[in-house]
Amino acid sequence: MRGILVLARKEVKATFRDNIFLIITGLFVLLSIISVYIGSSTKNAEMQAYQDIMQLLKSQGATSLPSPPEIYHLSVLSNIISYVSMIGAVVAIFMGFETFSGERNNGTLKLIAVRPVYRDQIVTGKLLGGGMVIGILLGIILIFNMALFVVVSGMTPNTNEMIRLLLFFIIAFVYMMLFYTATMYVSHKTNDSAFGFMLMMIVWLAISFVLPQLADSQRSFAYALSSTAQTVTQLPSDTVISKTIELFSPAAQFQNIGKGLLQVIPETANLGVISLIQKQLGAVAEILLPGLAVLLLAYKAVQKEDVR
Amino acid sequence: MLKIENLIKKYGDFTAVDNLNLEVKEGSIFGFLGHNGAGKTTTISMLTTLILPTSGNATINEFDIVKDNLKVRNLLGYLPENVTLYGDLTAVENLRFFGKLSGIKDVDSSIDETLKLLDFTAWKNRKVKTYSKGMRQRIGIAQAILHNPKILFLDEPTSGLDPQGTKELRDILLMLIKERGTTIFMNTHLLSEVTKLCTDIGIISKGKLLLADSIKNIERDFPEEKSLEEIYFKIEGGIR
Repeated sequence: MRGILVLARKEVKATFRDNIFLIITGLFVLLSIISVYIGSSTKNAEMQAYQDIMQLLKSQGATSLPSPPEIYHLSVLSNIISYVSMIGAVVAIFMGFETFSGERNNGTLKLIAVRPVYRDQIVTGKLLGGGMVIGILLGIILIFNMALFVVVSGMTPNTNEMIRLLLFFIIAFVYMMLFYTATMYVSHKTNDSAFGFMLMMIVWLAISFVLPQLADSQRSFAYALSSTAQTVTQLPSDTVISKTIELFSPAAQFQNIGKGLLQVIPETANLGVISLIQKQLGAVAEILLPGLAVLLLAYKAVQKEDVR
Repeated sequence: MLKIENLIKKYGDFTAVDNLNLEVKEGSIFGFLGHNGAGKTTTISMLTTLILPTSGNATINEFDIVKDNLKVRNLLGYLPENVTLYGDLTAVENLRFFGKLSGIKDVDSSIDETLKLLDFTAWKNRKVKTYSKGMRQRIGIAQAILHNPKILFLDEPTSGLDPQGTKELRDILLMLIKERGTTIFMNTHLLSEVTKLCTDIGIISKGKLLLADSIKNIERDFPEEKSLEEIYFKIEGGIR
């Protein structure tokens, strides 16, 4: 355990001394803050517009007044879903791409491996260190966003909203750890850090953009032709093909879970947290399972292979 | 101190180390000689538990390098060729990391003692990336001896050093023998270094050990050769 903690602390220290990491992280935090500001302003404008219309209708003597728009507080934070899905994944890749190959290239992996620590402890230490950095990062974003949310919108989240928000950040943590673990595995398998980084960026592009786009195309253009009635009927937006494609995109799954948790989808916005989680269990598993699979591969690779 | 029996390392069909048998006595400086690709680094990598032997065994202080690898790691210090350490961390931060990983309880006093021994205290709070090659090599030695190992493995320690840096390193190693009684196993292809520093040598070529003995005995057994260089080329040339 001692060795794991020593390794984890070193990972945290080295990551926070990396200027490029600090720049990407700064950008990440800034964008998330901007997104809360924009989200809050939009909702405020929506409410203002409603109040203006009400005032106008009342001044014209209208008796039947429209009901106020249903505003879900957490939807103010909805842009964070995209930022975590895209920039969060890049941050995790950046953190992980030199975990092993960088150490191998500067000779420090050998210096660690000749110490009295087991090989799997090296992976656990790096994983814990990465997890701590991602946790700190998401914690900072959570605190900043909560504070800004309260200040800009003037609303205080209730318990249900707080739990939803917390769950969102836990899912975001798992999602970022998936990329970190996968990158760590790639970094172990290659000596070329740049190659590892590029490979993971291609994977990121595929699962964050290409697959969701493909799934979308299947949703939007799925039509049924009735030859007897000579009509074309548009099928419901989700198809077997689009859902199957999404299975291979943790980014799409993360976005689905995020939209549910942050009340972007009106149908699930009033659901209790447990019912919502039950509804999203499949999507959570689709993020967790690839992460666990890559983690097992990483442990196996480290134990089996020579340190050269 | 170190006993190697029938040690073999194969990569597919290629045999990097072929049936190596060797003993290194406690308190000696053993120079492991051979040209590039002879199998020196592979041997040191097996002895430091970085890679697994294909067959055979080796023990350090009676501990098997495979079965008792954690105990073996407690006994050894290692300086690989061209190590750069963590450039963004200072010397003290690097040493604290490796010291804690080695399980040293009072790591800060060990660091102070080691840096004093290596006359490096003045630069201890500078980031390692600002160091010269010689300074980095010295801090590399510091991480290797921080936990006071019984045996120190050095892989081409003078590689890339200028004559001044080479002399300083030699002085440090001699001091280590004198002050701490550390056994040193050193890979090198610089015969001049071996002559000035080592008590015993082994010559390896194409994975096979051609000769291993004390320098005194070797010089006695090769009376016609004027220098270790001539002896080396005679032995090593014999199998080319």
